[in-house]
Amino acid sequence: MSLLTDLQNSIQNNFDNNAFCINNTFYSYKEFAQIISNIRSLIKNSVSDNEINVGLITNDDIETYASIIALWFEGKAYVPLNPEFPIERNSMVIEQADIVSILDSSSKKQFSDYNSLLTKNLDNTELGITPTKISNETLAYIFFTSGTTGTPKGVPITFGNLSGFIEAQWALDYTITEHDRCLQMFELTFDLSVVSYLAPLLKGASIFTIPKDEIKYSYIFELMEDHELTYSLMVPSILHYLRPYFDEINCPSMKYSLFCGEALPLDVTEEWSKCIPNATIANVYGPTECTIYCMDYTYKREEENKAHNGVLTIGKDMKNTSTIIVDDNNNEVETGKEGELCLSGVQLTPGYWKNEQKNKEVFFNKIHNGKETRFYRTGDLCRADEDGDVLYLGRVDFQAKIQGFRVELSEIEFHAKAALNKVNAVAIAFTNNIHNTEIGLVIESETLDTKPLIEDLNLKLPKYMIPTQIKFIGNFPLNTNGKTDRNKLTELFI
Amino acid sequence: METLTIKENISDVLKSILGHNNFEMHDELTAKDVDGWDSLSHMMIITKIEEAFNIKFKLRDLNKLKNMGSLVSVIQSKI
Repeated sequence: MSLLTDLQNSIQNNFDNNAFCINNTFYSYKEFAQIISNIRSLIKNSVSDNEINVGLITNDDIETYASIIALWFEGKAYVPLNPEFPIERNSMVIEQADIVSILDSSSKKQFSDYNSLLTKNLDNTELGITPTKISNETLAYIFFTSGTTGTPKGVPITFGNLSGFIEAQWALDYTITEHDRCLQMFELTFDLSVVSYLAPLLKGASIFTIPKDEIKYSYIFELMEDHELTYSLMVPSILHYLRPYFDEINCPSMKYSLFCGEALPLDVTEEWSKCIPNATIANVYGPTECTIYCMDYTYKREEENKAHNGVLTIGKDMKNTSTIIVDDNNNEVETGKEGELCLSGVQLTPGYWKNEQKNKEVFFNKIHNGKETRFYRTGDLCRADEDGDVLYLGRVDFQAKIQGFRVELSEIEFHAKAALNKVNAVAIAFTNNIHNTEIGLVIESETLDTKPLIEDLNLKLPKYMIPTQIKFIGNFPLNTNGKTDRNKLTELFI
Repeated sequence: METLTIKENISDVLKSILGHNNFEMHDELTAKDVDGWDSLSHMMIITKIEEAFNIKFKLRDLNKLKNMGSLVSVIQSKI
């Protein structure tokens, strides 16, 4: 496996460079290698050989990043566990992924019922950053995303998937070198974090993270200005927050500014391009199931850009992905017609973790270019133009993106109804006045005290899934098909 | 403007946006201590405070607003 050998070589060849800047402290690649070695020795001594998935408490510190690399070098996968998520949700993930051991850089164990291994202040061992032998099928990580039935679903990604992604990433020509300073703004439970640390590490560049108690958008601005960041991948909602302050931002050092995770509006992108006059701006797209991202469009500064309803095109498939747009019967639609975007290629996950039913729903085989090919249905409604550029039109189901996180509205409804003792409730994603997506909840009832409901939801769902506004209505309006009219309900919030 | 008056005005803003006043306006109060004061409501709170005092924060000011004490002193420096 060359990915891990490449990683080893990059760490070794850049010992004097800074690998990370975390909360104003710099860590060189040499220090990083030492911490990786220490944690590897801990894993060797305390995690049994047959454990494949190891839990990782996602703190913002050097030990947490070193733990990922240490697990990989030991041929094991990490499953991120956000300590701020409700215990009930984390326990569900731990159980589903058969986790026995958890690496934890906190000063006190977050989970005492499991084999929690504290990774801070370990004794220095001999340097050991030679990876163990792994195959393309070896798991690199499992990320859990919102599931429709109230249970999160796990997306396992192999080293074969990840290598395919990295190869396609280099082919994009958004070059990173050992002189670059790169932003890592994502929670480690979000797969955009993987490219944000892995791509710089593979090139000997420096990674700048965001402390958990800081306000992301203003902290990003300070990093950009104070450390002259050169490379960033962000969710578009950051731009909406920064927009009122665009006239204060001027960062000529920025070379590449990528966006992913949500629709990227063309007008905001145009304004943003003036804040970073020397940067190439790109819109990348992809679900966790197809390893981080798999489509790309480079924004054109001087020419017209393709957009639909003001949303920039997601462009063309990257090197290792092949896309088709299909109708309800998995037949390809004519160019220019809308349909569901489907993805195939080496980046595609082997399938949801222990969820055959879901796998049958979203993966299918089809003869493509004369070859039997496995495709994934994204749930995204799209249309391709004659040049092959794909325009994003919306969702085919009730999924929403909140600050880049995928949210199944039905999962919120499931828990809300349970808490409300079967009173009907509908979760709505709506756009607020700064153009970010918020979640509203409409309850089919007279006004009632919502405090117990919110308290209950807080026990079951991560913060970003908790409705920010609640409305009451005696009877839900119905549309012409006799279904709850979600559009009408959405109007309650606008 | 007196510190006390500034704090009263901030308290009103918080109450109007968060829908409760289950917080004490001491200098060490941080967003974490207040129910519902998260990154989403933060933006609305900042905008409302700007309106209430007729000031405009710089992007760089926002990182200094670590607790109530620093929020009050940043506001004081602008009015």
